[in-house]
Amino acid sequence: MSECGRHFERISEYLDGELDQETLIEIERHLSECRRCENCVESLRRTIALCRGMGREDVPAEARKRIKEKVLQCLAEESD
Amino acid sequence: MVEHKVKARTLSKVLNATCAINNGFDPIDHELIESFKAGSSEAIERLVERYENRLFSFGLRMCGHQQDAEDIAQETFLSAFRHLDRFRQETPLKNWLFKIAARACFRRRRKKKGEPDRKISIESLKQDDGDYVIPDLSEKPDESVIRNELKAIIDGAVRELPPKYRMVFNLRDIEGFSTEETAGIAGISEQLVKTRLHRARLFLRKKISAAYKEGAIGR
Repeated sequence: MSECGRHFERISEYLDGELDQETLIEIERHLSECRRCENCVESLRRTIALCRGMGREDVPAEARKRIKEKVLQCLAEESD
Repeated sequence: MVEHKVKARTLSKVLNATCAINNGFDPIDHELIESFKAGSSEAIERLVERYENRLFSFGLRMCGHQQDAEDIAQETFLSAFRHLDRFRQETPLKNWLFKIAARACFRRRRKKKGEPDRKISIESLKQDDGDYVIPDLSEKPDESVIRNELKAIIDGAVRELPPKYRMVFNLRDIEGFSTEETAGIAGISEQLVKTRLHRARLFLRKKISAAYKEGAIGR
């Protein structure tokens, strides 16, 4: 496997700060020399930021009410 | 001497509290769980209010339908409250709830039998020209139209992920669980969490980049 291919498998771990020191230094050295891999890392970093930035869906008010009522009702019936 | 003992006890309490916080211990959850065990129905309501949004949102992203998301939230709370008196708080309540919710999602999928859990090959995600078009929205925080278009693209792409990849992506990148926590919730190894997360992210990058190139965003 080429150096680029080997590093490609571990970009997420690199971005998540989950690599050991030795591999981290090796990847950073490669990134400083390989424009294509540098672009690959940057585009993945942006992808993660976009996905994280989209936020969560709020529970619709009616569903919120139903969830609470159902839970309380079932638990009350079970304790009777 | 007495003063030293009091200081040592206080220090010990602070250290224990610090360790507990570092382990994901949540003092509000702890208090509510204890109130629930003492018979408080208000504690049930407050725990539901604390977690309904996250569980509903997780269910929606996993199953794609509001009714399924509502059912998953209900099932999760009911199962949790039925067993909460035996919950020893060795893991944070949040992690335990998501573990129950994750199982509920997989049960629902098995019932429907419609969604194949295929593998994503790493080869299919390599782009030889390295030419990805991914916007940096931190430079355009007010572009609400682009943001909405992008959200629709991302939501659609997440729904296209095979369930086991979608699960890991949602737990890690949306819910913010660590690799170790995600492995515990999904019942898989940490290495599998890393592999699935990486492939899910590459898959989403490919979809977002393709949407940009096709002009589906920011026309």
